[in-house]
Amino acid sequence: MKNLLLPLTSIRWQDIIDIILNSYILFRFYVIFRGTNAFRVLIAIVVLWFSQRIAVYAGLIVTSWAIQAITAVAAIIIIVVFRNEIGSVLQAKTVKTLLWDFARKTADTPVAVLLEAVYELSRTHTGALIVLPARDSLEEVVHAGIPWNGQVSKEMLLSIFWPDNPVHDGAAILQGSRVREVGAILPLSRNKSLPSYYGTRHRAGLGLSEQTDAMAIIVSEERGNVTVARGGRLVEIQKMAELGEVLQNHLGGAQGKDRPPRGEKRELVIAALVSFLFVLGIWFSFSRGQEALFTLEVPIQYYNRSPEMEIVNTSSDNVRLNLTGADALIRTIRPEHVAVRINLANGQIGRNTFAIAQNDIRLPPGIVIERVEPTTVTVVLDALMEKELPVQVDWVGSLPPDLIMVSATVTPATVRVYGGSLMVQDIGTIYTEPLPLDDIRKSGSLTANLVLSPPSLRLAPDSRERVAVAYVVKRRSAPEEP
Amino acid sequence: MVARHPPSSAAPTPSAGAILLLVLWAVLATPPPAAAENGSETTKGTATLVRAVMCDGIENFAPVNPAVVFPITIGKIFCFTTFDPVAAKTFIHHDWYCRDKLCKRVKLDLQPPRWSTYSSIQLREEDKGPWHVNITASDGKVLQSLRFSITD
Repeated sequence: MKNLLLPLTSIRWQDIIDIILNSYILFRFYVIFRGTNAFRVLIAIVVLWFSQRIAVYAGLIVTSWAIQAITAVAAIIIIVVFRNEIGSVLQAKTVKTLLWDFARKTADTPVAVLLEAVYELSRTHTGALIVLPARDSLEEVVHAGIPWNGQVSKEMLLSIFWPDNPVHDGAAILQGSRVREVGAILPLSRNKSLPSYYGTRHRAGLGLSEQTDAMAIIVSEERGNVTVARGGRLVEIQKMAELGEVLQNHLGGAQGKDRPPRGEKRELVIAALVSFLFVLGIWFSFSRGQEALFTLEVPIQYYNRSPEMEIVNTSSDNVRLNLTGADALIRTIRPEHVAVRINLANGQIGRNTFAIAQNDIRLPPGIVIERVEPTTVTVVLDALMEKELPVQVDWVGSLPPDLIMVSATVTPATVRVYGGSLMVQDIGTIYTEPLPLDDIRKSGSLTANLVLSPPSLRLAPDSRERVAVAYVVKRRSAPEEP
Repeated sequence: MVARHPPSSAAPTPSAGAILLLVLWAVLATPPPAAAENGSETTKGTATLVRAVMCDGIENFAPVNPAVVFPITIGKIFCFTTFDPVAAKTFIHHDWYCRDKLCKRVKLDLQPPRWSTYSSIQLREEDKGPWHVNITASDGKVLQSLRFSITD
């Protein structure tokens, strides 16, 4: 459970932006394409993708492969088949409507005018078929329409459907306050359960509503009844008020131009929530699903050391960290992003053992430590002290056999050094660098560097790093007299 | 290797004249009876170090080729010390250090009125490097430090 929630605890600000941005993009897709056929197919693709992830999680290899293939094909289909619909939706939008507008419709249709016209047609038993498009493009399904582009009025509608008018048998397609086309031929429904009293006009209205989200108002020539075809269903309308309500609901303009009605508001809130949860799920799946393990060797840094102390020795200079996290994050890690820092504030003179805790390790967000090696580090601390030490020449090589070196005087004879007391107390002599004897044939002098060992040992500021060596050689002689 | 006056067999074989000289030295160095009675191994006598040298041999109880550099090939080196005067029977130490690490500690007795004594080490290949011998009084005070090198 801890591992499951780990991505949430280590979430970065970039992740929050990532989730919010993509949630909004997804939500806007919903707002722009809702109600279209393309959107319905898109939902199906999302369901397929979700099923594929579940199949992967469950280890169903063939199923996941098959769903993946179907999803890929479906994605291509949606672009090819619905290209016109997608195009028309996008073309109809301004930048504002693409980014933040929630209005379902882009133009107002004069409902009152429409109601009056419909009930006048009903009263006079004039057959009529009026199409009110919603979001879907009708280009693919409507044929042979005659462009009209006249302002919607009761008189105009009555004249269009006047029995002597050549276009009265076709459908009138409205767009906002204008009659866009007349005499249009709609696809006929193949529904065999339709009552026999419904004629071709009803079948055409139903056919359109089956294939698009448009609404069709059908006025029966024989009975004068008003029927609404919407969402693949035919509903007879008895009262004008009832038709008004249906029109308001379909056109969505009753409660203000830009503010969605209450039901639609709820729908948008749910859509926003689903978008957020969906993107969160994808992020979660990415951050957990593609985990990688990474081993990094990091030098240990020590801080808060008392100025009077120095580090004489440590059990380890580096720490091996086994790190885990999302593959994308792991790949961006560099050694300088990770630091292991040990606080020496409580260190005492002598051996100190420090456990390497989580707090001592600095990691980029989203990266988790699996293992630390070693888990403890021993630090030997020592107080600094100064000591005067004699200097001795470190001769190497060999003198010619007939010579002996009877004396070697070093100037200065002593130097002052400082370092940790534990270290300095064990040192009795400072040696020069190795000086070769091989070339020495007579007495002379030379200079030599001092060798400070261990390297943490330092010369006091007043001591020189080089010394002069005066030596005396002579020929081997007989034993001295007592 | 520890040698007191007279020198042990570790030193080069003395000639007949040298033996005579040595006997004379021993007689002269013998403490008076009162001092011998009062003296003991633990006596805190005072002794003045007048000579301390590293050498590659002892002949006639004198150092041969005092030096500060010795080739490993000579096989053995000596630390020769002379005390004059020695107030009472006492002892000293010759502490042999190789690169500041104590390798050998030799306790040597001193007899009034004056006394010469020496210690030695056998050289091995790994003994090359800088050495020093601390000549330490019975109270632990370092009287002198002799620094030398063992080389090829």
